[in-house]
Amino acid sequence: MSEDPPSDPLARLGEKIDRAQLERTTRRSAKSGPSAQQGIGFGYRVGIELVAAVIIAAGLGWAFDRWLGRGHWGLIVMFFLGVAAGMLNVYRAVSGLGMAIGYRPHSDEGAGSRQTKDAWDDEEC
Amino acid sequence: MAIELHPLHQFTIERIVPLRIGGLDVSYTNSALLMTIVVILITALTVLGTRRAALVPGRWQSVAEMSYEFVADMIQSNVGPEGMAYFTFIFSLFMFILFANLLGLIPYSFTVTSHIIVTFALAAVVFVGVTIIGFVQHGLHFLRFFVPEGVPKVLLLLLVPIEVLSYFIRPFTLSIRLFANMLAGHTMLAIFAGFAAILGVFAIFPLGVNLLLLALELLVATLQAYVFAILTCLYLNDAIHMH
Repeated sequence: MSEDPPSDPLARLGEKIDRAQLERTTRRSAKSGPSAQQGIGFGYRVGIELVAAVIIAAGLGWAFDRWLGRGHWGLIVMFFLGVAAGMLNVYRAVSGLGMAIGYRPHSDEGAGSRQTKDAWDDEEC
Repeated sequence: MAIELHPLHQFTIERIVPLRIGGLDVSYTNSALLMTIVVILITALTVLGTRRAALVPGRWQSVAEMSYEFVADMIQSNVGPEGMAYFTFIFSLFMFILFANLLGLIPYSFTVTSHIIVTFALAAVVFVGVTIIGFVQHGLHFLRFFVPEGVPKVLLLLLVPIEVLSYFIRPFTLSIRLFANMLAGHTMLAIFAGFAAILGVFAIFPLGVNLLLLALELLVATLQAYVFAILTCLYLNDAIHMH
């Protein structure tokens, strides 16, 4: 429908919108500089990550022990797993990998992930 | 009087219209009332704000357009153009949390997001939805998500449980973050208001603190909505692109 020659006013409008949108995206990626709001937001995000992971993992382990009716290995193992998972999440958030799990360094996949990384770089400085 | 001064009294859920279906208590509570108001306000803002769309926007149209652009920008830069398919969900989520947080700051109103059952329900919807999207887009290949690349087989025994755990921890951190911030902020406000109520002339000091705290809480209210939405974007990005 809109593949007609540009004499068609609708197609011309479509082209105009496309151009404006392209301009907007490029401008957005060009403009950088972290805002204070993003920085504080980042702080709030990371703050709870470690604590919650440890508490919930340890709680799960404890519940497992209760269910089993004996022993304490669930609590011990899950506590350390929780510490590891929490630290991993914080490390990933801080080092600019987003909250990705199973991050692959040799990723050949699309612009989305690269864009994320850029966004994070902005927020960090 | 003593009850009124209790800093946690503000979080009590009261039945407005008691209702029971089977053995289930489905009363219309003050929490539900606030949620209804939130939804009505958001609908009013978006519908009325865009009804008389002008080239030079008026106040309400400007607010509606700004909130649209804010969320759209967030999705574009964190997920990419593919993420715009989920715009309606993330916009609704962001606006709901933002309005619930802000309305909760009005004295004598009720903070919906200070109850973990509400925030956990929101986080669970995000978590389940993102997991389903991941499986739909990648099939069983999505499970490779939990297996880091280039790691010796022996270490995988340790690393896979950690990865799985850090994935399943997501809905908890997402909900606890919002709930804890709201609960702590409002409790603090109530404690200082309680000081003001018993100090007589010197009430001016806790009142001053409360004024500053209220400004901080305004910041926290908007930031927590932002953080919730941006984390939803990041999780969505993980599910769609899988890195």
